[in-house]
Order: sequence, then structure tokens, then C-alpha cells
Amino acid sequence: MDNMRLIARREYLEQVKGKAFLATTIGLPAVFAMVFGIGVLANLGIGANEHLVIASGDVGLASAIQEQLLIDKKGKSTVDVVAATDAERSTVLEQVKGRSVDGMLWVDTPAGGLPKATYYSPSSGDFMTAARLKEALNDGLIKEHLTVAGMKQADIDAVVKGIAIDTFQVKKDGRLVPSNAMASFWKGYVMAILLSMTTIIYGMNVARSVIQEKTSRIFEVILAIAKPEDMLAGKLIGTAAVGMTQIAIWLATGAAIFSLPIAAAARTGSLQIQFSWTEGILFPTYFILGYLLYSSLFAGLAATCETEQELQMYMPLAAVPTWLSFAMILLIMNDSNSVWSVAASLFPPTAPIVMFLRMASQTPPLWQIALSIGLMIVTIWGVLWFTSRLYRVGILMYGKRATLPEILRWVRYS
Amino acid sequence: MQVVELEAVTKAYESKVAVNELSLKVEAGQMFGLLGPNGAGKTSTIRMMMGITIPDSGRIRLFDKPFERKALERVGYLPEERGLYKKMKVVEQLVFFGRLHGLEAGEARKKAKAWAERMEIADALDKKTEELSKGMQQKIQFIASLLHDPGLIVMDEPFSGLDPVNAVLVEKTLLELKAEGRAIIFSTHRMDQVEKLCDSICLVDNGRAVLAGRVREIKASYERNRVIVEFEGSAEFLKSEEIAEAKNFSGHAEIRLKEHGNAQKLLHEAAAAATIYRFELVEPSLEEIFIQTVGGKANTGGGKANG
Repeated sequence: MDNMRLIARREYLEQVKGKAFLATTIGLPAVFAMVFGIGVLANLGIGANEHLVIASGDVGLASAIQEQLLIDKKGKSTVDVVAATDAERSTVLEQVKGRSVDGMLWVDTPAGGLPKATYYSPSSGDFMTAARLKEALNDGLIKEHLTVAGMKQADIDAVVKGIAIDTFQVKKDGRLVPSNAMASFWKGYVMAILLSMTTIIYGMNVARSVIQEKTSRIFEVILAIAKPEDMLAGKLIGTAAVGMTQIAIWLATGAAIFSLPIAAAARTGSLQIQFSWTEGILFPTYFILGYLLYSSLFAGLAATCETEQELQMYMPLAAVPTWLSFAMILLIMNDSNSVWSVAASLFPPTAPIVMFLRMASQTPPLWQIALSIGLMIVTIWGVLWFTSRLYRVGILMYGKRATLPEILRWVRYS
Repeated sequence: MQVVELEAVTKAYESKVAVNELSLKVEAGQMFGLLGPNGAGKTSTIRMMMGITIPDSGRIRLFDKPFERKALERVGYLPEERGLYKKMKVVEQLVFFGRLHGLEAGEARKKAKAWAERMEIADALDKKTEELSKGMQQKIQFIASLLHDPGLIVMDEPFSGLDPVNAVLVEKTLLELKAEGRAIIFSTHRMDQVEKLCDSICLVDNGRAVLAGRVREIKASYERNRVIVEFEGSAEFLKSEEIAEAKNFSGHAEIRLKEHGNAQKLLHEAAAAATIYRFELVEPSLEEIFIQTVGGKANTGGGKANG
């Protein structure tokens, strides 16, 4: 017990003092922030500073489209209207070619028929602009028709603008909680990624430290005083503590940022994200369970390897359940109570991540959470049993395989 | 007191019997050499003493009691396959090993300092292991196995990787520890060191003890069949029928007599042919006994390739 504590302490201090810890503690959230930031910026920037030309024989329609296009972008982009003549057409196409104009929307309005629109632009895959044009074209068309039909301008605007839907989640106790499908999707997604990344990173750390001790032959020195089980347990506990430290740092930093005035919008605005106590308790629980499952598996694999390169070959295999969990993301988000979602959230290798994805849309029944935790504990126990045997024979075997009777004698011993 | 006792210990691996019915005893204040060619079963024997592996059959006793893990706190072990945590500071590493053996942190630190001074590497204490030379790391490991004042010291090839100056320092330290009444077992290929340091030896070959006992008695039990002759004149007498093998280094000849070869007869032949300055019948060296016993296939003197 005492040896285990010493080994865990050594493992913890070495990793926390290491450069890798600092790098991932700062780096991982930074990467997240960057990905989100780029996404948000890109979204804001779409259509900004664009120079489009609309050519149509129907000036009314053309200006309706122009108006529609300018609404969201508040004048940051330029939309010109020109007559649909062959001369204009070749001039503007020349400008598109020279990149002084970003695109030309050519609208034919045959008498008695629906307008036919063609878009000319230097890029082949600008689907965002295409979608905006389509929306503007349709809205413009409706506006024009309604104007012709004699409807008042204010009414037309109201019809075209449409109505927003407020969503509420009905909780089990009957409370109505404002909900945002997008926000809860992101919340579940981010928590699942965080969970899987930390689980895999720390599982790998355990494996790497096993293989390093094996290649540096330090095992033999420690085994002369400590039992292999103490070594394995110390290593798992020490590394788990490192992971918990890192998550605690992230949570504390996150909470601090979240409570800043600048984040007030996120708390009350459209990105309303709520964290419940259940999530607060289940996140560390699933982290520890997922971590123990993966790291004990990795530790056992590492004990059978001779070099870090050999170990690398196992890694993609060991990460399969994580990939599987994320492959199911749409299925789970769509119907978090389907048979597949429930099965995946009970299956120990995928349970931690899938359970969090499910929780994003609604809290699963308590018995399912309890069952999944129970199943994980049983599986971890089994894997640990197996791993500790692999471990204590494997770490001393340089190029030799242990026989079953030998393993049995190891089991009897100590 | 019997510090270590092995009684008919056997350990078999999948393909071979590593240790076969091996028995040995080491007493307090004794320096014991565990010898044998590569793959003879020395490391397997030591690992069983340390509880790293368990024997298939036979008994192991430590400090006059049946083997128990608690007793390992009184054992210092320097394995052949050495390792230290590369990123850790030397002093922290020593404290860690000391604490594993039951020392308090402060006590371990104090002893680490004292030992570092004794082994002339006090400057290295605050460095990371990876910054040290191989020989220095070796000394750190040597200290790590002694920090907790073990009653039994087990060292697998303690001199490999050390330069002559440091080898002498380690030798001196081992002799001091022996004088303090500790039992020391070490395995080595260096027969000159065994001859100099060990009271008793056990020569292992193919997992079996082929020769065991006090060095003096073992050597005395061998026939004095070696002759050293210093002479001037004809070397014709080196072709004598009494001689099995002779090396002549211009006037200094080392001779091995045939079995039941007559040294007196040889002396007469030599005296008739040359002027003799020295004619000495000597006992065989341990190295010769080693080679003779394990059939000349042993790798002696140079140590293992992985040293």
C-alpha cells in the first residue's frame, strides 16, 4: 500500500512537472478555442465585402433581390443592378474574370413563365453564396409578386421575415427549461471530445511509462522491493491524478471565464448552455471509469511490447471504440433513446462518450446510467485482473513468452 | 547467521531449465561470488532470491527465515539490467528508492548526501540522470542499492561499465561493507576480482552448481600442476614428456604439467639444458579452474557484450 502510494506520487510529480503537461493543459483548450473562433469568424465574414452584380430585365425583381442580399450584411457588401443586355453581360463577365466582381446573378424573366437564374463566379464550390442567392432570389420573387398583388409593404416584410420558434425542454418534474438544440449539441459534443481525448491521452501516458520503464530496465530495481500490482496500481492512480488535475484546471479556468461580464451574452443569449449537477458529477465519474478501462488495457498491451514502436501499432486498434462512438453521433443526437443509442451507452468501451452525447439532448433514465457504470466497473475489474497478470510476467520477459502454468504460479504467489 | 540459503532450488522456463537443484549458503560478513558462463543461470538464481520470480521447487530462506517480502527491505539489489528514471533528479531518485525500502524522506535525503560524498559524486545530486555519464549512473545505482543499510547486498556484475579508478572505489566500498558484517553476493566474469575479494564461490553451469566452497579450499584442492620457470639457455626442456602445454616468453615459461606429470623430473631436464633462476610449482588460478570446469566454452575476462 505504502509502495503504491510512493509510486503513484512519483508518477504524478514527474508528469505534472513535465513539459507535456504544460503543453496539453494550455494547448488543448487553445486548439479548441481556435477551431471555434475560426468557425465563428468565418461565419461572420461570409458575404462580407463581396461585390455582386445582378442582371435582370425585371428591374423590380432585381432591386428586391438586391435589398434582400443587403439586409443581413448591413452594407458591408456591394450589390449592383444592371440591365440584362449582351453588352453588360460581356462587360461584367470580363470583371468577374478580372476578379473585380465576385459574381454575377443573371435572371431571365420570360413572359408568362417563372424567372430562370444563372450564377457566374470565379469559384466552383461557393455553396454558401449559392444558398444566400437562392434565398434572396426566392424572397425577392415573393416580395415582388405580393407587391404586384397589392399587399402593404409592412405586411410583405413581415411575411418574408418569417417567425422564430422558441424551444422549451419539458423536464421530468414538469419544469419548462428554455432549450437550444444547437447549443446542447455543442455542449454534448465538446464534453464527449474532452472525455475521449483525456481518456486516450492518459491511457497512452500509462502505456508509454510502462514501456519506458521496461526499456530502461528500471522494473528490475523496483520489483526487488515492490510488487508488480503495486507498481501497476501506483502508475494508474498517479496518472489518473494528473488527468484530474488537468481537468480541474480547465474547469476552473472555464468557470472563471464564464463568470466574466464579457461572457454574459453566452449565459443569457442564444447560446444558452446549462450545466446540471448530474453532469458535474458524471463527467469526472465517466472520466475515471473510461480512463481506467483504457489505461489498464494499454498497460497490459505495453507490458507485452519490447519497444514504443511496437506499442504504437496497437494504438489505432485500442482507439476503435472512440471512433465508433463518434460515428454514432448523428444517430444519438437524433434519437437519444433508440435501441442503438441505449446499447452503445451501456457497452463499456463506448459508454462514457455515448452517455455524454445522449445527455446532451436529455438525461437518460437513472437505471441506464447506473447499469452502464456497473457494467464498466465489472469490465474494468476483468481487464485489470487480466492486465496485472500480463504485466507482472510481461515486464520481465525480454523476448520470452510466459506459459500458462507460469502465469498460474504468479497468481498463487504473493 | 545464514543470511541467504537456497536449498535444491529449481526454475524452468518454457525451453530450458535455468536453475537446477541449486543449493548455496551465504553467511553474514561473507563476500560470495556467483560465477558461471553466460546463460548459466546466475541472474535467474538472483531473481529468485529477490522474489522477482519464484522457484518451481526448492526452498529459499532470507535472514534465517523462510522467504517473505518484508525481508526485502533489508536487501540491497543492483541488477545487471540497470535503469534509472532519466528525467528525475539524482537526489529525488535516491530518496524515492530509499523510501521504497522504508526510509523516511528526510533520512533518505541525508543518507543520499553522505553516500554521494563517499562515492565522490556529490556534484551530481542536483542533476538529472540523463545528464550523467554511464559510469556516474552506475555509481548512483550502486548508492541506491545501499542507501537503506541492507544486511544483504546482491550485485549482478557490479563492476561492468566502471573505469579502473571507480572499480577500485567500488571494491574498497564492498570490502568496508563486508567488514561491517554484511553479506555480499556478486556475480561477475572477472576472475581476478573474485580471487581478490571473495571468501566463497559457487560456479554455476547449465543451472547446476559445478563447484562450490571457500576459494582457498577450492584452489588447494587442485593439483599443483603449473610450473613457472625463469631460465637462460636452451628451451629444449619445454618439449619434455612431462609437459602438457608450455608458453615461452623468452626466458619466462609458463608450463602446465600432464596429469601425474613429474615436476622433479622436469627440473632435472631443465637444469641439464639451461641455467635456472626460478622454478616454482604454483596452484591454478581461478580463471584456469573456471575454464577447466566449464569446459573452456566460457567467456571469461571480458565481461558480457551488454556489460
